Amino acid sequence: RKVIMADDKDVLRDVWFGRIPACFTLSPEETTEREAEPYYLLLPRVSYLTLVTDKVKKHFLRVMKTEDVEEMWFEYEGTPLKWHYPIGVLFDLHASNTALPWNVTVHFKNFPERDLLHCSSNSVIEAHFMSCIKEADALKHKSQVINDMQKKDHKQLWMGLQNDKFDQFWAMNRKLMEYPTEEGGFRYIPFRIYQTTSDRPFIQKLFRPVSPEGHTLTLGDLLKELFPAAICAEDEPKRFQVMIHGIEPLLETPIQWLSEHLSHPDNFLHISIIPAPSD
Amino acid sequence: MSDNAESPTETQKDDPSIQHAATEHTGASDEKKKIDVLLKAVGDAPIMKTKKWSVERGRTVQSLAQFISRFLKLEASEQLFIYVNQSFAPSPDQEVGVLFECFGSDGKLVLHYCKSQAWG
Repeated sequence: RKVIMADDKDVLRDVWFGRIPACFTLSPEETTEREAEPYYLLLPRVSYLTLVTDKVKKHFLRVMKTEDVEEMWFEYEGTPLKWHYPIGVLFDLHASNTALPWNVTVHFKNFPERDLLHCSSNSVIEAHFMSCIKEADALKHKSQVINDMQKKDHKQLWMGLQNDKFDQFWAMNRKLMEYPTEEGGFRYIPFRIYQTTSDRPFIQKLFRPVSPEGHTLTLGDLLKELFPAAICAEDEPKRFQVMIHGIEPLLETPIQWLSEHLSHPDNFLHISIIPAPSD
Repeated sequence: MSDNAESPTETQKDDPSIQHAATEHTGASDEKKKIDVLLKAVGDAPIMKTKKWSVERGRTVQSLAQFISRFLKLEASEQLFIYVNQSFAPSPDQEVGVLFECFGSDGKLVLHYCKSQAWG
């Protein structure tokens, strides 16, 4: 049985309570009856846009005619923002090296069908969230842990996220972070590597946290195998930043530790690879 | 039934990236642009006469679901749910190639489909 140490628990809290200050502005293409003021909001990194922007919608609906209002969607500098990606991932990927607040444009028309999934209600978000957790557990534990949990336990994971209740969420999530001691870690690490310049949405492959010889594998080992361009020699200038929750973890960090502590509530380690800023 | 790869269903004409799987496989699976998918019906979903399909890696779950719906001639109002490992429903924009890499076995990706939610 793994014991979560006091310092490690602080990391879990820091991840959960991470926030991004955002400024929502109505698209100039939208027709309004009065001028629309921008709306400022602190966004939880670990949540989803459509789950936390009811106030944004209410704010802009006040200046719009009902017939002009369809499903709300968001865009940053021309790129539609996928609500089903965690907010922190979207920010790190698209805007991490720009000045705060994050300037997001709000739309109520011309929904980009090819870029975005529809989100008609919170149950769509819940279904997506739970599917991610199930997929992660299929990789970590051959679905054994998630299947052993009851329906009410699954509901608790969702309610914890929806209501921003760290203790309620982790009371259940800690079971998904356990593994048989003799294994040294999960069967495979649930992770996704994102890059804006790629034509593929993300890289996701099977990766064991422990080598066949029993060595603890690191973030560097993962990148060497799946994104070697992110690893550069000591005398070379860094071309890419490897970002998780807005920070660049040391490449020597064990991937098992990252999976247990820096995963999102969906149990995936979301890694953003962005061009290093050239100052 | 014949394994004629040119069998003229209108769905196949629209979807050149989905073909009957060849009975022989050559080449390493990493380099193949297509992966083999085995479709299994659940509950009252109609069983597909052809269950094994060769699908381009970049094809999304959503477009595969649309293909199955058209092939089975489902009503526009009828939903189709797709499951991996009989445990989770992948996101509609997920690529089948990624699912194959992570959840494929014996050289194929098994997907279960049904008209109502089976595994939540």
